[in-house]
Amino acid sequence: MTEPDRATSDDRALVRVRGLTTVLNGKTIFDAMDLDIPRGKITAIMGPSGTGKTTLLKHITGQMRGDAGEVWVDGASVPALDREQLFALRERIGYLFQNSALLTDFDVFENVAFPLRQHTSLPEVLIRNIVLTKLQAVGLRGAAGLMPNELSGGMARRVALARAIVFDPMLILYDEPFVGLDPIALNQVLKLIRTLNQTLGITSVLVAHELAVIQQVADHIYLIANGKVVAHGDPRTIAGDGSPWTRQFFGGEADGPVPFQYPAGDYAQALGFPRSGA
Amino acid sequence: MTQRRSYAVGTGLFIVLGFATLAYLATQTTSVANVRLGATYTVDAQFANIGQLKERAPVKVAGVRIGQVKSIALEPGKEVADVKLAIDQHYDAIPDDSVATIFTSGLLGDQYVGIQFGSSKKAVADGGSLALTRPAQQLEEMLGKFFGAGGAADNLGGTYTVKARFTNVGALSVGAPVKMAGVAIGSVQSVQADPVKLDAYVTLAIDKRYSQIPDDSAAAVFTSGLIGTQYVAIQPGGSPDMLKNGDELVLTQSAMQLEDLIGKFLVNGSSSGDKKADGAPSNASPAGKQ
Amino acid sequence: MRRMSPDNIVLRSLAQIGDCGLFLVAVLKAIPRSLQHARETVRQIWFIGALSLTIIMVCGLFVGMVLALQLYHVLSIFGGTAATGEVVALSVYRELGPVLTALLFAGRAGTSITAEIGLMRATDQIAAMEMMAVDPLAYVAAPRFLAGLIAMPLLTCVFCAATLLGSHLVGVHWLGVDNGTFWSNMITAVDLRTDVVDGILWKSVVFGAMVSLIAVFQGYTTPPTSEGVAYATTRTVVASSIAILALDFMLTAFLM
Ligand SMILES: Nc1ncnc2c1ncn2[C@@H]1O[C@H](COP(=O)(O)OP(=O)(O)OP(=O)(O)O)[C@@H](O)[C@H]1O
Ligand SMILES: [Mg+2]
Repeated sequence: MTEPDRATSDDRALVRVRGLTTVLNGKTIFDAMDLDIPRGKITAIMGPSGTGKTTLLKHITGQMRGDAGEVWVDGASVPALDREQLFALRERIGYLFQNSALLTDFDVFENVAFPLRQHTSLPEVLIRNIVLTKLQAVGLRGAAGLMPNELSGGMARRVALARAIVFDPMLILYDEPFVGLDPIALNQVLKLIRTLNQTLGITSVLVAHELAVIQQVADHIYLIANGKVVAHGDPRTIAGDGSPWTRQFFGGEADGPVPFQYPAGDYAQALGFPRSGA
Repeated sequence: MTQRRSYAVGTGLFIVLGFATLAYLATQTTSVANVRLGATYTVDAQFANIGQLKERAPVKVAGVRIGQVKSIALEPGKEVADVKLAIDQHYDAIPDDSVATIFTSGLLGDQYVGIQFGSSKKAVADGGSLALTRPAQQLEEMLGKFFGAGGAADNLGGTYTVKARFTNVGALSVGAPVKMAGVAIGSVQSVQADPVKLDAYVTLAIDKRYSQIPDDSAAAVFTSGLIGTQYVAIQPGGSPDMLKNGDELVLTQSAMQLEDLIGKFLVNGSSSGDKKADGAPSNASPAGKQ
Repeated sequence: MRRMSPDNIVLRSLAQIGDCGLFLVAVLKAIPRSLQHARETVRQIWFIGALSLTIIMVCGLFVGMVLALQLYHVLSIFGGTAATGEVVALSVYRELGPVLTALLFAGRAGTSITAEIGLMRATDQIAAMEMMAVDPLAYVAAPRFLAGLIAMPLLTCVFCAATLLGSHLVGVHWLGVDNGTFWSNMITAVDLRTDVVDGILWKSVVFGAMVSLIAVFQGYTTPPTSEGVAYATTRTVVASSIAILALDFMLTAFLM
């Protein structure tokens, strides 16, 4: 269960990453990585800080291009898309930024309404209803008139979440949606993610560190480190699959294969995981 | 939503304000303000020299604008400029022997056509012409006539002294030239105030070569150029007797204050003719004698 | 995206000018697309145009007052004080109006454009727009560029009118130049084409394009750090001031 399912067919995988290699400032972020995100499921991506989770999401949305390899989203090769096609694709993807990235010029309502206003010419009443529904879902309908600088970190995350889902896209990428949320809000957001997935069939990708939370929602977990997928599988079983990666990562042990200060290759080889990816 | 609308309203106001200001600047502070073309009729005038006169320059009577220059062309085969004047139909009683003159509004201003009414009972009609014209006065010429040319006296042949009294010598100083017909013939030896008569008592040292100056000649204090130094000009009289050492010149003209002088010019051009309310053509340029 | 900047300051400046030119092309190309964000352009005209009105009017008023005062004293030497209004109008329409407005605009609006876009970049707002399939060139850059282009001539007109008001206050009401003379000399001397169209309009449109291009460019290309934004803001003022004065010379040489 450590190899990604290479046999996954196109219609089952909404996102397919093959042999993705990316070098940033001389540092290898991805080293021939393979990964599949199944359609209509909730997939969690975990990994140590700085390992490239956010970068992976940026590859999927075409904000970044790899040095080699392929990224397919819904049958389209993302690096090959021109600007128009890329924008057309992004209209169908919701993206929750790790730092919220709300537009500071607009109040909460307008922030959530922004994608609707830009891409549709819906009547004002309809926009209002949609936006208020989404804000209600994240528990912030009452904060519609506040400006982003008047929000707490957790509130800003929830507004950003509402904005990411306002279009009911085919794919939502959540970059650490649970950061800064209190247990109540966290539960609500969790429920929201699950509801969106179950009722609308929206494929979701969750980048998060909270294993206990992820185990409640995710259908599948990828653990990435050193530019590769080092483990993947069912959330309830992955922690106990016996590999040193999962043992260290989910056990929170200081010692293990996850690199903190040393070049990745040395460590991996020393521990007997000389993986070439292909 | 209200927020959004207030931007739009404010922006609209701003744009309207901007364009209104532009319209104001363009129509009220430029020569466009002069155009205001109502019904006009055209009158011809031919000038020997139009100076810097331009199309759309104003046509004035007694300083009041009555029309504008419509076109300027060279009369075919002749060395005269054919100027067509578009005159407002309200002013339809211009005598056909009126004189058209090209004036300058002030020292720095543009030129315009001034019409001085004649005495004929017949008014000039559309397409008619003003036969009597005076060409543009070159400002330089005019000033030259006032002030004469510069130059330094050489006192090689010895001098004789002549006295003259002025009510005002302006900024005349010792050593200033004494000129006749623009040529320096001597210098000012002393300038004193007379404690009794309360005027200026000036001693002129004149070169002995110029001993043939009639004793009824006049002395005047002039200025060379606009802001130049002042000098004494001698205008020869007609007496058979000549000036001798120690004589006094009786006819004198005091220093013209430059301010007065320019004031006179400027008044010619300004449309606020309150100083010449009678509107008589007497405010023609001081050198209009050819 | 960012190039290695050469060490030499001349080369670096040339590289910046080149990048700025390429950026202009990109912005111009984005203008048709930005028309669907016309609301945003309107909002920007409000922020960088309408909100600059106060400073423009106050400065224009004082410039007019001091010009009238100075000119009156110089002209009184020649007895030509009647020409006060005309000389104020000519110097303001042809040079001072467009140039001073552009300099004020660079300080008031240019800096805020640069800082705003720089911060939007630093806080990932630009990236967020990209992710929402909104082209930041069309949504952020082009509306501000257009707004500058539209606002500048209008502001220049307001500035010129304020100057006339100021010079009228001092010249006519304080120093006693005759009101009729003040206006009639101005009206006779000022020409619609050479002074208002070539002077106020042409120059201010060119300056408006220049200043807002520089401001948007600096904000757009600044490193997304607080220091980067600070430097970019400074560069906006320096570069626009130099560009305004240099362009003014060229325009005067070509237009007059
Ligand atoms: N624009 C960039 N230029 C150079 N290196 C970058 C850039 N962006 C990210 N990196 C590097 O890429 C690596 C992965 O960054 P990324 O943001 O994807 O980490 P992450 O897995 O999301 O971490 P975290 O869990 O802390 O959010 C980091 O080591 C970072 O230093
Ligand atoms: Mg991250």
